[in-house]
Amino acid sequence: MRTKRLLALSIVLIAACKSPTPDEQMDSIQSWLATAGLVGEAWLRHTTPDTYSRQTLELSHETLLQISSDLLKSPPLPLDSTTLDSVLTRSRGHIDQMARLIEARDVPDFARQLDSLRADQKTVHALADSLKPKQ
Amino acid sequence: MKKILQLTLGIITSVGGFLEIGSVVTAVQAGAAFGYQLLWAILLGTVCLIFLVEMSGRLSAVSKHTIVDAMRERFGFPFFSIVTLGIVIVAFMVLVAELGGIGLSLQILTGIGFPWWAIPISLVVWLLMWKGTFSLIENVGSLLGLVTISFVVAAVELNPDWSSAAHGLLPTASGDQKAKYGFIAVSILGASISPYLMYFYSSGAIEGEWDETYLAMNRIISGFGMSFGGLLSMAVLICAALALQPRGIDVDKFEQVALLMTTALPKWGFFLFAASMLFACLGAALEISLAISYFFAQGFGWNWSEDLSPSRDARFAFTYTIIILLAAVPLLFGVDPIKVTMMSMALTSATLPLAIVPFLFLMNDPIYLGKHRNGWISNSVVAIIILISFVLAVISIPLEIMGG
Repeated sequence: MRTKRLLALSIVLIAACKSPTPDEQMDSIQSWLATAGLVGEAWLRHTTPDTYSRQTLELSHETLLQISSDLLKSPPLPLDSTTLDSVLTRSRGHIDQMARLIEARDVPDFARQLDSLRADQKTVHALADSLKPKQ
Repeated sequence: MKKILQLTLGIITSVGGFLEIGSVVTAVQAGAAFGYQLLWAILLGTVCLIFLVEMSGRLSAVSKHTIVDAMRERFGFPFFSIVTLGIVIVAFMVLVAELGGIGLSLQILTGIGFPWWAIPISLVVWLLMWKGTFSLIENVGSLLGLVTISFVVAAVELNPDWSSAAHGLLPTASGDQKAKYGFIAVSILGASISPYLMYFYSSGAIEGEWDETYLAMNRIISGFGMSFGGLLSMAVLICAALALQPRGIDVDKFEQVALLMTTALPKWGFFLFAASMLFACLGAALEISLAISYFFAQGFGWNWSEDLSPSRDARFAFTYTIIILLAAVPLLFGVDPIKVTMMSMALTSATLPLAIVPFLFLMNDPIYLGKHRNGWISNSVVAIIILISFVLAVISIPLEIMGG
């Protein structure tokens, strides 16, 4: 009897565990894009070790891939998902390039990729704003 | 002269030993997610800790008992066993988090993943425990931990709006993220009011052969030391509020925490952060290993003293050997130290009544403290803060877990 109750309680708890909302996922995406941006700035100023910078960019890339595929798999979003998909794919490309350019120590190209990432960040920000409930 | 030296060292070590992975990660998460809004939680936790640490020293100086000794003697072994179970499980999780903190600091410095560091770190901590004395563990770890003062320099360098920061010292509404706000507040309280610190401090008072002439010194060390320590935590939160929140960085991983001081102190910020975490977590890991061993040795009536050679208190030395070894296992398998930290800090809050309520009974017992027993102010302050953190924990932990 006790086991059954425990089982029922576990099922209720698991059912209660909800996955993050699109709004939360967009916040997460923005957070990781900003992380990649800040790491990029720090590396350009020569204030962080190469290995840390590269690994953090790779982590940002992987996390963004994971969150964006979850987000785009979910039911139709109340925003322009084609634009979102393309801007996220492009951002991941910039981050991936930045990680490679650290190894090559190609500062000018790294700075260009960082600028493009910043532009994409603004687009994602605007898309995320469109998801927020209007006051 | 000897006492003035002890006093100075006591305050310095309290400051240097205050921050550890729990207080840093919870303060960074708070600042990154809610700006200055959760400064009140650090203030509340620090006030409570000042009272608790002062009481721990007073109990030992007056009664010549450690907290654990007195608890077992006053409440009997069955009750003591229940308390032991709760406190040791949470303290063990905190030890895993601290060892993980050392590993993560080495990871960001070297690029070698933290699981690879689990065994070498455990060996170093164990070796320091095996070979070291109480004063070595108390002073060296904490003196190295003084590098954490760089968080204050970084916070000032970021030029905060002090009046907005002052508003954060009063609790405010959390907007639409109530569960997260409550969970982080609870974690901050858990990180500040760490029961292991009380056991460590009270055992240290016995190791240092304190008597009633040390009461004034005890008051000054706990008051100044913990206040400055709280100030360090607030500086961490302010750095996060100014360096991470405006960029929309919500902290999930240690790699993000490592960016905390790169804006304020561009040249040295990253390395100061890594060094701060490395030394702060090393000091905390030593203190927790010692506190858990004290807990078992004093509870079961074994020989104990960090100043004795391991052959003279074999069971005490065996306890920390096993505890340190076991704590390395989850890290070896790649368990995320940040997740362990957040959960262990929240659980610390949830189990606080277990550690603090019996302690408050002891502090009001004339058999142990005579005329030095608690007054109504210290009883009320501690009871209210513990109640707040317990209620917050009971509400927010399930909400946070269910919210993913």
